[in-house]
Amino acid sequence: MSTLSFKSVSLQYPIYNANAMSLRNQLVRIGTGGRIGSDTRNIVTVSAIDNVSFELKNGDAVGLVGHNGAGKSTLLRLMAGIYAPVSGQVVSKGSIATVFELGAGMDTELTGYENIVRMLMLLGHSQLTAKQCIPDIEEFTELGGFLNLPVRTYSSGMMMRLMFAVATSIRPSILLIDEMFGVGDAAFHEKAQLRMHKWISEVDIFVFASHNHDLIKKLCNRVFRLDHGKVHEESMCNFLE
Amino acid sequence: MNLFIRDLIFSFRRMPFVWHMALGDTRARYKRSFLGPLWMTLGATIGVVGLGLVWSSILNQPRAELIPSLTIGLLLWQFISACINESSTVFVRNASVIRNVKTPFFIFPLQLLIRHLIGLLHNSIIIIVVLIVYPPPVISSVMILSLFGLILVVLNLLWMIMLLGMLGARFRDLEQIISAFMPIVFFLTPVIFKADQIGLNSSIIWLNPFTYFMSLVRDPLYGRVPSLTIYLVTLLIMLLGWLLTMYFFNKRSARLAFWI
Repeated sequence: MSTLSFKSVSLQYPIYNANAMSLRNQLVRIGTGGRIGSDTRNIVTVSAIDNVSFELKNGDAVGLVGHNGAGKSTLLRLMAGIYAPVSGQVVSKGSIATVFELGAGMDTELTGYENIVRMLMLLGHSQLTAKQCIPDIEEFTELGGFLNLPVRTYSSGMMMRLMFAVATSIRPSILLIDEMFGVGDAAFHEKAQLRMHKWISEVDIFVFASHNHDLIKKLCNRVFRLDHGKVHEESMCNFLE
Repeated sequence: MNLFIRDLIFSFRRMPFVWHMALGDTRARYKRSFLGPLWMTLGATIGVVGLGLVWSSILNQPRAELIPSLTIGLLLWQFISACINESSTVFVRNASVIRNVKTPFFIFPLQLLIRHLIGLLHNSIIIIVVLIVYPPPVISSVMILSLFGLILVVLNLLWMIMLLGMLGARFRDLEQIISAFMPIVFFLTPVIFKADQIGLNSSIIWLNPFTYFMSLVRDPLYGRVPSLTIYLVTLLIMLLGWLLTMYFFNKRSARLAFWI
């Protein structure tokens, strides 16, 4: 049984300009009493998520919609525990996997095989279980002998195949995905879609941020609309129209 | 539970991963070149031989005395300064991981430390060769204390990397500030000379924590037990440093993902 609940969660984060990121300038500011230097403190605070509450249970597949900068990615990172809320509480039960930017922890000097183990271990596998995933990834990526070569020799499509295969070989109970990505050529794309859908159907809770409404209709059973850091749940019927 | 303690516990649970990453980094360096990290060892050897020959005549000291102490000092300094120099970017360089996967923060300083420990292990070949060519006057069980000293040094470096890493993520010019100051710290650390050669004006040398680290590792190899003061000061630095790091971490670590 997996759950994911937000209790009046708010998150503001600062965006620093180059001056505010300089220790030298900060020290000068203190040294001059902060009067002349008051202009250098250009810290903009973004209120990304504003008093959001909801509860997700087993079987929930949520589509996150909203225009660019509405806070979709921030909300996903809060769900994953990568960002900590400024106020409120995020409580999750169950193992979480995220697909935001692919290829975290990849070292292009190392071979495909070494990178598979490395990335899987980063995602929480032990070395042994990571190695057990290799045959499946070998078969899916169709990279063959290339897996023995350093990843820097791969084309971007090949790299994408590898990263996608690694990301989808995790078995989480809560899955968070930010925007679907195009994977390789047409024939492979279909294969990737199939693997993706199978993967999604196996998890307890699924959250998916996307601009592609058709895909959301196909994959999700609840829809959250984000607007200026607020979350409104839309009924699926309204959304379909 | 205390955020800091929890992060430490979770990080140590992921030690196999940290080892794997550090070994992978080392292996990647072997791939780029035939000698790999041994290039560093070669560079260090040339440095030790060159400096040993020059300084033994300048300082008017017998080579058999200077070269071993210089070797150990120089290699230990290389290890310490590499850790400190890279500390400020330890989180920035791992931004893609931190922003995409939920991981405890301490695994990154640990990875940095272990990678450089592996480098030190490579370089210890030189120490062994030098100790064979210029054997220490007495071989005693005191030498084990050197290993204990190294552990104390590593425990101190860990909090330093964490603290500087957090500061370096928030203030990006810290990297330049550190690399500007490290050469001065080198001259204030008894690497080439010995702390007791300076005479009475050595108080500034003893204000430098790295002086203590040097004694802890180097002195026992010559059968000298570092004085109790040196141990106490090191332990005090360690205690205060960890408390300071814990304070900063508990206050600021939630913001770290935004800084990078």
